[in-house]
Amino acid sequence: MMPGRAILAAALAVMLAPLAAFAADGPSTGSLPHGGAYTITQDATLASAAIDLWFRAPGAGYDNGEPGISRVAATAAAAATLESGKSLVGLVRGVGGHLAINVYPDLVDVSASVPASAARRVVAAMSAAYFSPAIDDDAMKIARTDVAVLSAQEHFSPDDLLHDALFAQIFVSGPAHYAPIPADLSDFKSITLDQVKAFAKRAFRSANATIALAGNVDASLLDAVTAGTPGTADTPIPSSLAASPADKTINAAVAGEGLAWTGPPIADERAATALDFVADYLFRDETGVVSKALDPTGDDYVNGQFITLHDPGIMLVTIGGSKPAAVEAKVLGAIAALQTPLDPATFAAAREAFIYHLASDSQAPTEQADNLGWYAGEGNGAYAPSDSASTYWKAARSLDPDYVASVVKKYLAHPVVVRLITTNSKDSTS
Amino acid sequence: MKLRLAAAAAFLLIVASPLVSRAAVGAAPVVTRSGGVTTITQLDASAPLLHVVYVVRAGLDRQALSQNGLAALTAQTIVNTPVSGVALRDAIAAAGGSISFTVDPDDIRFQIEALPQDADNVLKLARTAFAAPDFDPATVRSARDRLITRIAENQEIALQVGLDMLNSTLAPSANAGLPAFGLPASLAQLGPDDVRAFYTTYYKRGGSYVSAAGRIDALSAGALGLLGATLPEGSTNAISVKLPKLEGASRQLVAQRDISAPWLIAQYGAPNVASKDFGPMLVLAAFMQRTLADMADVPGVVSETYASRAVGAVYQYENPQPDLVLYVNGGIGNPNRSFSTALSIASILATTKLEGSIDEFKTMAAGDFISSTNTLEARAWLAVVYDENGAQPDYLSRTLDAISQTTAADLQRVARSYLGNPTIALVLPREDS
Repeated sequence: MMPGRAILAAALAVMLAPLAAFAADGPSTGSLPHGGAYTITQDATLASAAIDLWFRAPGAGYDNGEPGISRVAATAAAAATLESGKSLVGLVRGVGGHLAINVYPDLVDVSASVPASAARRVVAAMSAAYFSPAIDDDAMKIARTDVAVLSAQEHFSPDDLLHDALFAQIFVSGPAHYAPIPADLSDFKSITLDQVKAFAKRAFRSANATIALAGNVDASLLDAVTAGTPGTADTPIPSSLAASPADKTINAAVAGEGLAWTGPPIADERAATALDFVADYLFRDETGVVSKALDPTGDDYVNGQFITLHDPGIMLVTIGGSKPAAVEAKVLGAIAALQTPLDPATFAAAREAFIYHLASDSQAPTEQADNLGWYAGEGNGAYAPSDSASTYWKAARSLDPDYVASVVKKYLAHPVVVRLITTNSKDSTS
Repeated sequence: MKLRLAAAAAFLLIVASPLVSRAAVGAAPVVTRSGGVTTITQLDASAPLLHVVYVVRAGLDRQALSQNGLAALTAQTIVNTPVSGVALRDAIAAAGGSISFTVDPDDIRFQIEALPQDADNVLKLARTAFAAPDFDPATVRSARDRLITRIAENQEIALQVGLDMLNSTLAPSANAGLPAFGLPASLAQLGPDDVRAFYTTYYKRGGSYVSAAGRIDALSAGALGLLGATLPEGSTNAISVKLPKLEGASRQLVAQRDISAPWLIAQYGAPNVASKDFGPMLVLAAFMQRTLADMADVPGVVSETYASRAVGAVYQYENPQPDLVLYVNGGIGNPNRSFSTALSIASILATTKLEGSIDEFKTMAAGDFISSTNTLEARAWLAVVYDENGAQPDYLSRTLDAISQTTAADLQRVARSYLGNPTIALVLPREDS
């Protein structure tokens, strides 16, 4: 039982500061003063701060009728002039930082990396820009130009094109069916200012937000959040799976090939972690079994990752170079081989390497904030792998050869295949 | 026309912005010296890993001209040396870490990283190979094959090709300007005996560094000291190779590679980190970076685009011969216009009186430097760079102070001192590509 004075002090602390629940050796989490959630991981030896603001928001709009609207709205809010006379992007650049807007089918992430001395100002500006958006014609014009440039660039990025095309085949409806940045500009040219304002008002509610802070930060920064209205966060946004997703061949400016398999939901932590392990073991650059099996003097390459989503996750492999059929055979052969459990020594070495890669890939503040926000957005913040005390690490440590083989057998049987072809495409092995 | 206006606006330097302020950060690096080995530690108990940079004076300047690639081949042989039945690199990976190396003009830099609980074991594995590399022909052959792959990878990166050419012109000694990994033809001439002789001659403790950042608390007592004491005592000297300078008015280097668009790269000499010109040069680099981006990018966009990444200014202060490099990727449209405008601005900066505030560029310079210190590897290596240049290894506060104290007069002085006549590298697509 707590003494009376301590109870009074605790009550005052609750009134004066954001609600905090500190996990041992992990990020602190809690509620923002005016609605929404936060997650903080602190490293006081760094001089920088990463500030990420995440929302659950459908990329093509709440009726899936305006592909690209979440990107336009997020960009316009960053470009809109705030009360200070500067836009969020202007402020971040003015303090020597960098701002990035990352839009996914079901999430929006606004990410700033700034000197720690400027973190408070950026938290205030970012929350004002999104919790009380003041999007006008000028901001819309900037956003339209921005999205047009990104869309044009994507035509020459086989990995992005394949990712979007595979999701369109696997998901028959819902936000995951639509590319976050539409390839066809006519899709978003008709989006009006009123539509964007309405979307921003609904999607960018403080109650629907998670602020992820990493680096030289602490909870007192959240006092700078003055905008917002308490309420309820949206639940993760579902997309419907196609009953029998078909393979597809697409004419494109660049060639490539993609394979995808439907995996477990984020709630099945051990299975999702097992597929992360498989992706690391087979496809990680330089160390992956398949990556190392490619001819080092050739132009072939392979990328593979398990994308952890609310339900279901997706294992996605993209292939480039002049011999895609040969690389595809290597990919499928390696996956088929994993249906047989690895020998204990090989498995133990691969698992330790995988766990090291987890830590190595999330050592910078921007990576940590990105990681914390993504997993919270997909509905399982306690599973974020950037935190070595999370359930993710427990799941990783628990993996064994038999279990991984069973997960491979269950989920990685028949991929959906998308091929990008150009008029010059040729495969010397076919 | 509009792009040039943007550059001119930046040149006027009239934008007011907050002054650079120092962030509250953790303890400064701790330096100890013993028996020719300098050990630097930066504890970060919040980090997920331990990173150790191990620097040995066995870089390019220890090679003769006829030994092009030998420094890299020796380092790669160590990384490929069998330990517990597999190559050191694979043994460390299986133990929860990684090892790689960088070939510098005056040193070899091994980067070793590990999970905290595996750190002792990973360092022990590394020590085993450092102390007794395997000079078996098969190991040396595998090392040579790996280097040939890395050479091929580098040749596909036009900026790297250009930088290699330019760095060779700055090198004080001809051997220090050789390609980091050598050439396939020169590597073919080097065998196990050459590697053994190079290792025996140059892998000594004298002048070496053990710089650790992150979870040092996870190491057992004396683990870093044991790493520093792995090599035999003694010091070595660089081989000085002087070649007559080429005479001629042109300062252009041209190469052709299998790339889709030309790259234009200009190189200016620059001060080292201990110089009073260091802070102003960082601000100058920020100014040039902003100017190039303004010229190349779509006006007003929020996102980083291909165009903004296709141009840049890089101040390579960590090099033994520091330089400022400006580059333009011809894939953005009209590289000649961007490049000639950048060179003109560099020239004008040296001769025209500056007006207005430079605070915006000081803030950018500070932000860029802070961003560059986010990884453990960068923190461990920067401490070495500062220490070996005679500066205190408290790189963060020293650099932010140097930027903060920079005045417009300093900027102009540095522009006048360094931005004179650049050496230009052109990396062009092959005529048949």
